[in-house]
Amino acid sequence: MEFKELDPILHSQLRLAVMSLLISVKEAEFTFLKEKTNSTAGNLSVQMNKLKEAGYIEITKQFNKNYPQTIGKITPKGILAFENYVKALQSYMTL
Amino acid sequence: MENEEIKMSESESMLLITSMINKAKNLYGETGLFYLIWGWVILFCCLTEFVTGHFFHNPKGNLVWLLIYAVLIFQVFYIRKTKRSRRTRTYTREINSFVWLSFFICLMLTIFICVSFKKYELINPLLLVLYGIPTFLSGIIIKFKPLLFGGIFCWTMAFISPFINPEYHVLLSALAVIAAWIIPGHLLRNKFKSEMGGTNLEITNGI
Repeated sequence: MEFKELDPILHSQLRLAVMSLLISVKEAEFTFLKEKTNSTAGNLSVQMNKLKEAGYIEITKQFNKNYPQTIGKITPKGILAFENYVKALQSYMTL
Repeated sequence: MENEEIKMSESESMLLITSMINKAKNLYGETGLFYLIWGWVILFCCLTEFVTGHFFHNPKGNLVWLLIYAVLIFQVFYIRKTKRSRRTRTYTREINSFVWLSFFICLMLTIFICVSFKKYELINPLLLVLYGIPTFLSGIIIKFKPLLFGGIFCWTMAFISPFINPEYHVLLSALAVIAAWIIPGHLLRNKFKSEMGGTNLEITNGI
C-alpha cells in the first residue's frame, strides 16, 4: 500500500472546512464561510490568506451597497489539491 | 473553530469534509417567485386573448401580450438588484439560469419565424413544446417533481393541439401554465417558506 503524504495546507481544520465549502459552490462570500465554519473573522481571514498564498483559492473584494464584500472561489490548483488530499485520506483509512 | 492550526486524524478530516459539503448542499433556495409571476401573467394574457377574440371578436386582444415586456423589464431589474446581495453562487443556479435564457431565446426566435411565415396557428403548439423544456429540466436540476410533471404536461398539451381547433389553442397554453408554473410555483414558495423557518437558506431570485 502506497502512503500519500497529507497536504499540510489542507490538513488543518479551518482551512479544510473552507475548502470543503468552496468545492461545493461556485463562489461564496466571507460571511457565509464564517457562519458555516463557526469561526472568528480574524482567524478565517488569516486561513483564507494562507489558502490564497498556496494558490488554492482566489479572493476578490467588491462593494455591495457601500459595504465591502469578500468573495472566495476555489482555483483549479485548489480542486486538484483537494482531490489529492481526499485520495490520500482514503489510502490511510483503508489500511 | 477558534484555534487556527487544529490538526485532525484522518477520520476526523473525512467527517469534517462530509459535514461541510452537507452544509453547502441544498443552497438553491428556490423561492418560486418567477414561476408565479410568469405563470399568472401568461394565464392572464391567454384568457384575455381568448375572451376578447372568442366572445367579442376583437383581434386587438392580442395586445395584452405586450405585458410580457413590462414583466421582463421588472425581472431584469430585480435580478440585477438581488445579484450582489447573494452570499453564494452555486453551479445549480448558474446552469438553471442558462437553461431559462436558452428557452427565452428559442421562444423569441420561434415567434419571429412563425410571424414571418404567417403561420400564426403554429405559435401556441410550438410554444407549448418550448414551455416543457426548461420546466422539465429545472425539475431535474433542482430535484422538484411538480416541475418535471409540469414539463410533461406542456408536451402533452402540445401533442393534442393538432386535434383541437386552433382557436382554442390558447386555452391549452392556459392549462399548461397552471400545471407547469402556477401550481409548482406555489408549492416551491410553501417549501421555501417552511425551510426558511428551520435553516439559513438563502433568498434567491431563481426563475
